[in-house]
This record gives sequence, structure tokens and C-alpha cells, in this order.
Amino acid sequence: MSNHNPDAPKHLKHYFANVDQQYETSKFAMWAFILTEVLTFAGLFVAYIVFRSWYPDMFVDAHKLLDVNKGLMNTIVLITSSLTMALAIWAIQKNNRKLSLIMLIATFVFAFCFLGIKFLEYSHKFEVGQLPGEYYSYMGPEVVHLNNPHIFFSIYFIMTGLHGLHVAIGMGLIAWLIYATYKGNLSSEYYTPMEMIGIFWHLVDLIWIYLFPLFYLIG
Amino acid sequence: MSEHHITPLRTYLIIAASLLFLSGVTVWVSYIDLGPLNIVVAMLVATIKASLVAFFFMHLLWDDKKNLTMFLMSLMFFGIFVTITLLDTEFRGDLDLNPEVKDPINKRAVFYDTLPLTDTHGHPVDEHSDNHHEDKDHH
Amino acid sequence: MSENIKQNYLNHPKGLMSWLLTLDHKRIGLMYLVSGILFFFLGGLLALVMRMELAAPGNDFISNDTYNNVYTLHGAIMIFLFIIPAIPGALGNILLPLMVGAKDVAFPRLNLASFYIYSFGALFAMYTIINGGVDTGWTFYTPYSTQSTSNVVPMTLGIFIIGFSSILTGLNFIATVHKMRIPGLTWYKLPLFVWALYGTSLVQITATPVLAITMVLLMLERFLGIGIFDPALGGDPVLYQHFFWFYSHPAVYIMILPAFGIISEIIPVHSRKKIWGYKFIAYSTLSIAFIGFLVWGHHMFTSGQSVFSQIVFSFITYFVGIPTGVKIFSWILTMYKGQVSFTPPMLYALSFLFLFTIGGLTGIFLGAVALDIHLHDTYFVVAHFHYVMQGGTIVAFLGGLHHWWPKSFGVMYNQTIAKICAFGVFLGFNGTFFPQFLLGLRGMPRRYATYSEEFVELHSYSTFWSGILGISIFIAIMNLFWSFIKKNKVDPGSNPWGGMTLEWTHTSSPPHPHNFEEEPVLEHGPYDYDKVIVEKTYK
Repeated sequence: MSNHNPDAPKHLKHYFANVDQQYETSKFAMWAFILTEVLTFAGLFVAYIVFRSWYPDMFVDAHKLLDVNKGLMNTIVLITSSLTMALAIWAIQKNNRKLSLIMLIATFVFAFCFLGIKFLEYSHKFEVGQLPGEYYSYMGPEVVHLNNPHIFFSIYFIMTGLHGLHVAIGMGLIAWLIYATYKGNLSSEYYTPMEMIGIFWHLVDLIWIYLFPLFYLIG
Repeated sequence: MSEHHITPLRTYLIIAASLLFLSGVTVWVSYIDLGPLNIVVAMLVATIKASLVAFFFMHLLWDDKKNLTMFLMSLMFFGIFVTITLLDTEFRGDLDLNPEVKDPINKRAVFYDTLPLTDTHGHPVDEHSDNHHEDKDHH
Repeated sequence: MSENIKQNYLNHPKGLMSWLLTLDHKRIGLMYLVSGILFFFLGGLLALVMRMELAAPGNDFISNDTYNNVYTLHGAIMIFLFIIPAIPGALGNILLPLMVGAKDVAFPRLNLASFYIYSFGALFAMYTIINGGVDTGWTFYTPYSTQSTSNVVPMTLGIFIIGFSSILTGLNFIATVHKMRIPGLTWYKLPLFVWALYGTSLVQITATPVLAITMVLLMLERFLGIGIFDPALGGDPVLYQHFFWFYSHPAVYIMILPAFGIISEIIPVHSRKKIWGYKFIAYSTLSIAFIGFLVWGHHMFTSGQSVFSQIVFSFITYFVGIPTGVKIFSWILTMYKGQVSFTPPMLYALSFLFLFTIGGLTGIFLGAVALDIHLHDTYFVVAHFHYVMQGGTIVAFLGGLHHWWPKSFGVMYNQTIAKICAFGVFLGFNGTFFPQFLLGLRGMPRRYATYSEEFVELHSYSTFWSGILGISIFIAIMNLFWSFIKKNKVDPGSNPWGGMTLEWTHTSSPPHPHNFEEEPVLEHGPYDYDKVIVEKTYK
């Protein structure tokens, strides 16, 4: 740090030549990280596709046990939270810290709602025994003829569970953003963390956009 | 960093409205029986939604194209993964030497035979009809 | 200036905490190097135990169960704890920022985090050993891995965690190569080692997430019986192999691409000649990285996949031979009419060329479905991948260590001992693994602790030479570290081999804590031996 330019802004790390290089590098790395996220889910999508082609009827019948209304509600909640996240970045770009803070808090609340609805869904499934794998015990009249419905619920729980984990991580990150914005560490000059977390949050939305029709709306 | 592109507020609102509208469309379409086209329509709508999110909310439209490349690369490798895996699973038993390898080895796991029948609340029901047992063996 | 040159990253700042919490890529690289080599010795020891058992038929040294544990741990430790992290983590970390003229990698904190994640994952692997081992083979094939009572979960959890470290290193390197180059250092002026690391990192970030999710599914299969891989529950064990090899075949290129990079540096420098076909080598790196994603099914020719996919996989597998062949020819043409000096790094590079060519060509044999069905799971396969992994990657790694040792640490090893060891490695390696090709052709299956009488002769040859190999590698590495203890310092400005890349021409040995005292200005390309006469000292 001996050769650090004293005039440089304090968020500029000494190993970067200028703030633009730093911003572009972070953003590019974030997209590389998004690539790893997409490929993590890719494995599960492959499992979904392969098993759906092996058990087409079972998938169609088992999906009727899911609650479309709760799924749609979650879709709306998540899309709205994506909007508020985008607006938080828009506000900080305009240097409107207060509006940005409100939008971040709204995003956090929506994320919480999403997990709340998810919790209601899960707890219903736990009650009736629609559980993954060997813990599956639901033999109601509409599924008794199905082949291996536990596989559908395994894939359902793993995919939505991993997605829910991402929502929870996102909530943690947004909470930190709220703190940083409140403290005044972010401004139109430096909002890289908000931009990065924003991209992450939109990815969470993006994955849900596919999960929703694949699980709740199988025709 | 004032030279960064700032998307106008109007764009964000229009995109969010379209997303909500398309979510409604996809639910509505799912109640119409289009046969095998169901999944195609559902995925088409999802892809339109996903592109809106990626290009506008995630700012890919205005970003350095390297970022878009990274994102498209992830989709390409996903495509490779799916396609090549399906080359195996969809063509199993293609020589018709032993057709039974086309399907998973155990179409109905053993533990189902010991599960009690339940009502729609997951509570066991007492009457055991023997037809069901025959059914299971059949599958 | 002379005051400044005494200050280097090894002696400044001082103190244990300055090492444990360092953000300096060179120090992190050194920590990777030391831990990688410890695991290398551990894995090597397990290999020698196996060879001891196989010196004679029957179970006279260890039992069948112990043998199963030993080969599993040998494979898992060598691959996940040594080869995959070692070259990018150690040599890559030390050299990449120097080669692109940067002060550090793009995200030094992530870099340190990735080292600690690696160490944390390694703890699980060590726990596995203490707790009685794991006996599924390093591939953890289902359904056995879902039933085995050995420590499948700690080991897969360890691999899952190490995967994150691999991803973070890859992310860091990609961002560094893209964004941290000094002005004027265009893509075609990058040293080929940087290209190789770039290709490796791309494979790391694309393939490793799939490994992570595979390991999660395997653990869930054990905990919950999710029925995705377990045939008894309606799943499909071959699907596990697709998931596993979608990562693990590209992982082969994570292991070999950096080795290609090292060889591309050693050969022009020690031949004092411009590299032949720079763009061919650069693009063949990327195309190997890509084709590597299309061929995973050639590991599964006998697993019961569809005949159609076998034909497709077999066909695409041959394409790997094209970019690989391009590289081999480029290296040979680089040496042609060059002033080849037989220094220790060059000796390793030459053995690499020989051994890797054999490894690569036998790979083409195995890519043919019909032949593979005969050779699958025999010692032919064992010999093939050791010719690639050890004869290729580890020999290149040793060559790279000898090449950059004076640069990275400012000390010079005993070159005579190093040369003798290079010969020992070459002879020991061929003596150990060439007989295994013959064993495989004659039908000796892999992963057995005993064998029938007719294989005695070849097995005992193999065991004898494996001792020579083990001793040579041990002495070679000790010789390197001994130079630290003896403090056989080189002149800080020295450039013993006459390298032309930035790490040789623009910084001291060992480098300054911030890599360069002033921002380097690029004066010539990485291999312009036809245009510039390099001096053996800098400044």
C-alpha cells in the first residue's frame, strides 16, 4: 500500500488502477459467479427432465398435490421484490439514499413473505406425508396408483429447497445492504455491492420463473 | 461513476408489469389442454420472462458484452449437459436386445407395499382392499 | 534501489499472523504449495503400500478391505487434494498476477478464503482416514456408495467443500486475466501459461458446480433415500455416472491444461527460440477445454448407456486428439534448431513430451468402444491415466517448480541432484507403468488386492520400479526445499534461464511485496527470442 495514491477514493483497492476497472472487474466476476449458480441448478434441472421423461404420468398426477395459488402468490411476491431491488439501485444511482433504503427494506419484506408462504406449503406437505424419498407416506386416493411419487417430491423439495436457501442468503445480503446504506457507505459514486447483490437477487427470481411452471403448472 | 447507464424508472415499471401479466398468462394457459404443446408454451413464456429479467433488471442490455457471454455460456453448458444425458436415457435399449432396460430398474419402490392407504389428509384408512395390492404388482 | 530490492514478499512483513492472514497471492501460493506437496507425499505413500501388496499374489501385506480403502484414498487425495488445487493454487497463484503485470489477483480476500476453504475440506478428508477410510473408489459410484458403511459422507462432504475453493480460484483467475492486464499486454502477448490457466479456470467454474450438486444428491440419497440414483427406489445409477463424469471428465483437463501451460513456458525459454505456433497453442487450449465437456460418456462404455450415445461419445472423443496433437507438434517444432540446454526443467519437459504422448495415444485406443469393452477396468486404463496424470501433470509440475524456483523463492537448488532425479523419475515411471499396459492387455483387472500366478513377473517389475520412482520424486522435492535451508541465495536480479516474460524481466527474485516497484512497461512479446537478446540479469 506504499504506492497508494492519496487522492484516490477510499473504496478503491490499491491493486486496481482506477474505480472503473474495479467496478467492471467486480461485475464481470459476479457474472462468472452467476454462471456457476446456473450450472448448480442445471444438475437438478437435468434430474427433473430425465425423471419426467421416465415417469410422465406420475409427474402430471403428483403435481396436482401442489398448491397453485401459493405458487402464483410466491411468483408475484418475488417479481415485485425484483422490482423493488432494481428501484433501490436506481435510487442510489440518483443519489437518493432514503428512497433506496425504503426499497431495500421492501425487498427484504417481500423476501420474508416468500419464505413465509414457502413455510406454509412445506408444513402442509410435512403434515400429510408428501415427503422426499423414503419418508414419503402419502397414499391418498388420487395417488395410490402412481409409480414412485416420492421421486417427484424429492426433486420438488431439493429444487425449491435450494432455491429457498438462496432466498435466505439473499435476505442476509440485503440486510447487510440496508445497514451499509443506512450508514451512508453507499452513494452514486460507489454502489458496487448493491449492484452485485441486485444481480444475485434477480437470479433468484429468474430461477423461480422456471421452477413455477415446471412444478405447479404441468399440463 | 456517473457515466454508468441509468435505466429510466418507466422501463422498470413496464417490465415489472409485463412480468406480472405473463405470470397470469402462464397460469391461465396451463388450464387449457394443448397436449404436448403445454410444456412448450410454459417454457416459452418462462423464457420471455427470464429474458426480461436478465436484460432489464440485471442490466445485461447495457452492460459489457463479456457479461452477456458469460451468461449465455452457462446456458450453453446446461444445454450440453441435458442433450448428451438424454442421448443416453432416451435411447436406452435401442438395439432391442433387452427392451426392459428402457425404463428405470424399479418402477415401483418396495416400500410402497408396506405403506398404509391414507385419506387426503395423510391419515391412514383402515379398509385394505386387495385390488390395490394386485395393482401394485402389476405396475 | 538496492535497499528496496532486499525487501521481498518472503521477509516483509514479518510474523506468523502476516502469513496466516496474508492477502498476497505469492504467499497464498506458497501455502498451497506446501499443503499440496504434503498431500502428494501422503497419496504417494498410499500408492507404495498398494505396490507392496501387489509385489506378490495373495494377501500377504494388507487385507482386501484395507486395499479397497487404500486405493480409494490414493485416488481421492491425489486428485482432489493435490493435482486439481496444486498447479492453479500454487504455481498459478504465484505467477499469474506477475505474468500479467498486476499488483495482485482481482480479489485477494477471496483468494485467501479459497485457501482456507480448501484446508477445511481437507480436514474432512483427513477425518475419513482416521475414522477408517472409505472403500468405494474415488468415483463413488452408486449403488455401492449409497450402501457402503465406510465414510462416504465425510469424504464427499470434503470434496463438496473443496469444490468451492476451486470455483473461487477459477473466478479470481478469470477476472484477473480479463481485467488486470497492464496496458499493451493484449491477449496474443500473454504468456501461454496464462492462457492455460484461463482455460483451466473456465473449466473449473463451469464443471465444479455440477460436482457440488452431485455430491449433495449422493449425500441426500444416503440420508433420505431420495430415489434419484438408487435403483431400488426407482432411480438410475447410470445417471449418477453422467452427473459425476460431467464434472470429472472436464476435471481431467483441469489437471492437464496447466501442465500444458508450464511446458509451453519451459520449452521456448530453455531452447532460446520463439514458440512455434503461438495461436495454435492458445486456441488448442480453449478447444480442449470445450471438447472436454462433450466426451464424458467414454468412461461409461460398459455401464449400460444406450448404444447411440456410445457411438456419439466415441466419435467426439477422437476430436480431443486434434488440439492435443497440435500442441505436441508445436513444442517439438519449437525445439527444432533451437539452442536446447539440458537444464533440470528442460529434462522434465522432455520426459513430459514422451510420457504424455504415450498417455494421449493410449487414450485414443480407449476411446474406441469395441476396444474399450475389452480394456475397461483393467490395468491398461490404470497405466493410461497414470501416463497422463503423473507422466503428464506431475512431471510438468516438477518441471515448473524447478523452472520458477529461483524466481519465486530467490534460492537455487543443486542442479546435479535435480538432473539425476529427473532421470530417476523418468525411468522409475516407465518401469512402474509400462508393465501395467501389458498386464491390462492380458486381462489383469484393476482394484484387486491379489492376482493369479501368470501376472507375477510384470507386477514385481512394476513394484520394483515404483520404489525408484518414489525415491526420485522424494529426493527431487527435498532437493528443492533444501535450498531454503542452505540459504543458497541467487542474486535478486538474476534471470538464470533467460526468460522473457514479465516475472523474469521486471521484478526481483523473490519478487517485491507489491510485485513490481513501478508499473511494468511491456517492451516485447513473451517469446521474442528472434528479436531481443535477453540479459541474464534484471536492472
